[in-house]
Amino acid sequence: MIVFLSKRLLLAIPTLLVASFLIFSLVHIAPGDPIQVMLGDFQDPELIARLRHEMGLDLPLLQQYFHWLGNIVRGDLGISITVQRGASVTDLILQRFAVTVELAFFSLIIALLIAIPTGIISALRQNKLSDHLSRIIALLGVSIPNFFLGILLILFVGVYLRKPWGAGGYVPLSRGLLKNLAHMFLPAVALGTAYAAIIMRMMRSAMLDAMSQDFVRTARAMGIAPADIVRRDIVKNALIPVVTVIGNSIGYLLGGSIVTETVFRLPGMGNLVIMGVFRRDFPVIQAVVLIIVVVRIAVNLIVDLTYGFLDPRIRYGGER
Amino acid sequence: MAREIQNGEYELGAHRTLLQEFWRNFRRNRLSLIGGIIVLFYAVLAVFAPLIAPYDPIEQFDAPRGMRNPMPPLSRDVDGRLFLLGTDKFGRDILSRAIYGTRTLLQVAVGSISIAMLIGVTMGAVAGYKAGTWVDELLMRAVDIMLSFPSLVLAIALVGAFGIGKIRVGPFTVSNIVKIMLVIAITYSPRFARVMRAVVLQEMAKDYVAAARISGASGVRILVAEILPNTIPPIIVQASLMMATTVLTTSSLSFLGLGLQPPRPSLGLMLNEARDYLFWGAWWYAVVPGGLITLAILGFNLLGDGLRDALDPRQARRRR
Amino acid sequence: MSGLLDVEGLVTRFYTEEGVVKAVDGNSFRLEEDEALGVVGESGSGKTVTALSIMRLIEAPGRIEAGRILFRGEDLLKKSEREMRRIRGKDLSMVFQDSLSSLNPTLTVGAQIARVLKHHTRLSRRARWRRAVELLAAVGIPEPAKRASHYPHQLSGGMRQRALIAMAISCNPKLLILDEPTTALDVTIEAQIFELIGELKEEFGMGVFLITHDLSVVASFCSRVIIMYAGKIVEEAGVHELYAHPLHPYTRGLLRSIPPLEGGEARLQSIPGEVPDLINLPPGCNFSPRCALADERCWQVEPELSGITPGHRAACWRAERPAMAGGGHD
Repeated sequence: MIVFLSKRLLLAIPTLLVASFLIFSLVHIAPGDPIQVMLGDFQDPELIARLRHEMGLDLPLLQQYFHWLGNIVRGDLGISITVQRGASVTDLILQRFAVTVELAFFSLIIALLIAIPTGIISALRQNKLSDHLSRIIALLGVSIPNFFLGILLILFVGVYLRKPWGAGGYVPLSRGLLKNLAHMFLPAVALGTAYAAIIMRMMRSAMLDAMSQDFVRTARAMGIAPADIVRRDIVKNALIPVVTVIGNSIGYLLGGSIVTETVFRLPGMGNLVIMGVFRRDFPVIQAVVLIIVVVRIAVNLIVDLTYGFLDPRIRYGGER
Repeated sequence: MAREIQNGEYELGAHRTLLQEFWRNFRRNRLSLIGGIIVLFYAVLAVFAPLIAPYDPIEQFDAPRGMRNPMPPLSRDVDGRLFLLGTDKFGRDILSRAIYGTRTLLQVAVGSISIAMLIGVTMGAVAGYKAGTWVDELLMRAVDIMLSFPSLVLAIALVGAFGIGKIRVGPFTVSNIVKIMLVIAITYSPRFARVMRAVVLQEMAKDYVAAARISGASGVRILVAEILPNTIPPIIVQASLMMATTVLTTSSLSFLGLGLQPPRPSLGLMLNEARDYLFWGAWWYAVVPGGLITLAILGFNLLGDGLRDALDPRQARRRR
Repeated sequence: MSGLLDVEGLVTRFYTEEGVVKAVDGNSFRLEEDEALGVVGESGSGKTVTALSIMRLIEAPGRIEAGRILFRGEDLLKKSEREMRRIRGKDLSMVFQDSLSSLNPTLTVGAQIARVLKHHTRLSRRARWRRAVELLAAVGIPEPAKRASHYPHQLSGGMRQRALIAMAISCNPKLLILDEPTTALDVTIEAQIFELIGELKEEFGMGVFLITHDLSVVASFCSRVIIMYAGKIVEEAGVHELYAHPLHPYTRGLLRSIPPLEGGEARLQSIPGEVPDLINLPPGCNFSPRCALADERCWQVEPELSGITPGHRAACWRAERPAMAGGGHD
C-alpha cells in the first residue's frame, strides 16, 4: 500500500512540474510582447519597463520559471495587472476560492446522492420501466449543457416560482448558512446534473458487471439473502471502478464551475479567470489555472487512496 | 452456464462479414438510429442555413407600437413580418440567428475535430509504432500532462494566451473562428492520440503485420498500408463521441464570451445575452439556442454510443 | 423408495437471440444417500447446467422447462425462492471451478464462510468466526486463524479451493455438487483435494455429485458414472462396469483418450469432430455426425436411454446387448 502510494506521489510530481511550466509559458505563447499585450492601449514606457522587471521578464526563460515557481511555493501568486491593478493575486484568489470550492463540493454531494442509488436501482431492475426511465434522464443529463440547465432553473424557480434564492447571486456565509446554501442550491444542481448522469451510468454498468461475476453465483449457491448479496458482493465490488470515474471527472466539476459561476453571477475563481482573460491579466490566468490543475492532481491522489481502501488487491499487493 | 452457450454464439457469428455484423448491431439499437436522424437534421440545417432561415441573421427589425424587443414567438414587426420564435434584444429574428448559429457551431466542431484527429492520430500512430522507445515515452507523457488539465480550463487558458478575437502572428492574421478551432483541437488531440496508440499496438500484435514484416515491407509502408486502415473504425467512434464534447466546449466558450464574437450569430452567445432578459420573461431567447445545443449533443452522444456498441457487441451486451 | 436425489425428465433451455439452446434435454438419474456420482462430458455437454438446475440457479435467458428434481423426496422445482434459499448452502451445496473468480475479492475468506453460517445457523458473531476457522482447519489449511483474515488473492490456488470447499460444507450438506473443482490446479494438489473430499464425504456422510471431464478422476473417486453428450445422458453405469464394458461409442472414445491407470492429465479432445451446435441439433442421434459406427437409423431416429444390462443404461442403436453378442457389426 505504502509502495503503491509513494509510486503515485512520485508520478504526480513531474506531471505537476511540467504542467506548471506549460502554464507559465502561456505568457510566451501569446504573439507579441506580453506586457504590451496586457496593457493594451495604455502604453507607458516607464510602466512597461518596471512591470517587465517586476515580473522578471528580463531574465532568461528557465530562470524566470524557477523564480515564478519559487514565489508560488512561498504562497505568492504574483501581482494583478489589469483586473485589480497592484492587488496580490493570492488575495484575489483567497477571496474567491471558498465560493468555487463550496459550489464544486455541493455539486459533488448532490450528484453522488442521486447517482449512486439510481445506478444501483437501475441495474437491479435492468430493463424494467424504472431502469429505462432513469437511463433516459441520464442521457438527457449528460447532453444538457450546465449553462443552459442553469438558465432553465433560474427561469423556473426564480422567474416562474418567484423564489428569491432562484435568481442567482451570492449570499456570503456571514449572512446565515441556510441562506448561503439556498443560493448555492440551483448552481450546484446545474453543475452536478451532468456529473450525476456520468456516475449513474458508470454505476449501473459496474453493477451489471459485478452481477455477472462468479462470486455472486457462489453467494447465491450458499443461500445468502439477496439484500446481503447486493450489499457485500455487488455494490462493494461495483464501487471500485466507479470511484475512479468519480475522481477522473472531478476536472469536469472544476471546469464546469467556471461556467456555472457566470450563469448565477457567483464571485468565484471562474469569474476571476474570465475577467483575467478579458483583460489579459496573465498572472491571474496563470494562478487560477495552476490552482485548478493542482487541485485536480491532488484529488486524483485521494482517489487512488480510496481505491486502495476499497480494493484489498491493491491494499495488500497482488496480481491486479 | 454462460460459458457453455458462448461457444455456440461464436460459431454463428463467424459466418457473417464484419460489416454486416456492424450494420445488424447498429440497426437493432433504436436509440442510435434516432441519434443518426438528429445528426442528419443538423447537417441539413447547417448546409442549407441560407435557404431555411427566413431572415438575415443580423438584420434588426423594429417592434410595433406598444411592444419592445425582445418580442415573444409569433410576434410581428412594424411592417407585419412574422417572427416564429420571437426576436432578440436588437430585434433580430431568433429563428434565423439560431439556424446560422447552428451552422457556425457545427463548422467549428467539425473543423476542430478534424484538426484534433490529424494531430492526435499522427502522435498516436508514431507512439504506437515506436512503442517502448523514448519517442513513445515523450509523446505519451505530453499526452498525460495535457490531460491533467480539465479540457474547458485548458481551452480557456489557451484563449487567455492567444487573446480574444482574431490574432496577428507576424504578417499573418488568424481569424477568430480558426483560432477557436485550433484551441479546441489542441485541447482534444491527446484523447485521439491515446485511442490511436492503443489501436496501433493492438494491430501490431497481429499476424498480418508480422507477415508483412517478414516479406520485407518497410516500417512506414506497414504503418500506412497495413495498420492504418484497421484503425479507422475505432477512430470514427471516438470522433463521433468527441463531437458531443466539442459542441459543449465550443458553446461553453461562446457563452463565456471567449468564443465567437458578435455580431456573428452564435448559440452560446445568444444564451449569454438572454441572461439579462430572463426576468422580462423572455424564455424563448434562452430556450431556442439552449434546446438546439442540447439536441445536438444528445444526437452525437446517441450516434457515438450506437457506433461503439455496433463495433463491440460483446461489451455492448453488458452495457445494455 | 427414493434416493437422495431423483432427477426425472429434466429439460433446461436458454432462449438466446440466436435461438433456443437445448442445454439439458430430458435427463433422468438418481443419486443414492452417501453415493459419489460422476458426470463426465466435454464442455457444452450440459453438466454444469444440470448442476445449476438442481440448485435452481438457472438465470434468464435460461429456464427449466420440464421435469422433477426430488431432493430427499421433495420436488425442488415446486419450492419458492425463499424456501430454496434455506436449502442452498445448507442441505444442498456446491463448489465452483475457478476459485479466484468464485470468491468475493473484497471480503476475507473467514468473513465469506461466517456469512454462510449467519444465514443458516443461530450462532453468535464470535461463534461464527470460530467455526469458520475450524472449517478452514478441517479442509487442511495451515494457520487457519491467520488465513481466515486473508483476502482470496493472498491465498494460493489450492488453498482458495480448500476455502471454497470449507464454505460449501460449513452447514453439513446432505449433497455436495462439485463442478470441476480442480481444473485450475496442478496434479499433486488435485490429488490432495480429492483425498480431502473423500474424507469429508465419509465424515459427514454426504452424497457427492462430481462434474468433470476427466475419466481418471472419476475412476478413483466415484462409484457410478453418467456420460453426457450434447445435453443428453448417453450412458450410465457403475464405474467398474463402465470401464470394463463401455457400450456407447462416445464413451469408448473417451476411454481411449486416457492412458491406462496411473494416467496423468487426460483430455477428451481426441475424438474427431466437434460438439454439435445445441441450437441446431442433428436429426437422429446427436453423436451420429462423429460416430464411426453410425448408419441410416442413427442419422434419422434418436435412440432412447435404456437398460442394456442391470444397472447399465446406454442411448445407442449399436450398443451390444449380451444376448445378441456376436450377431453384430464389430
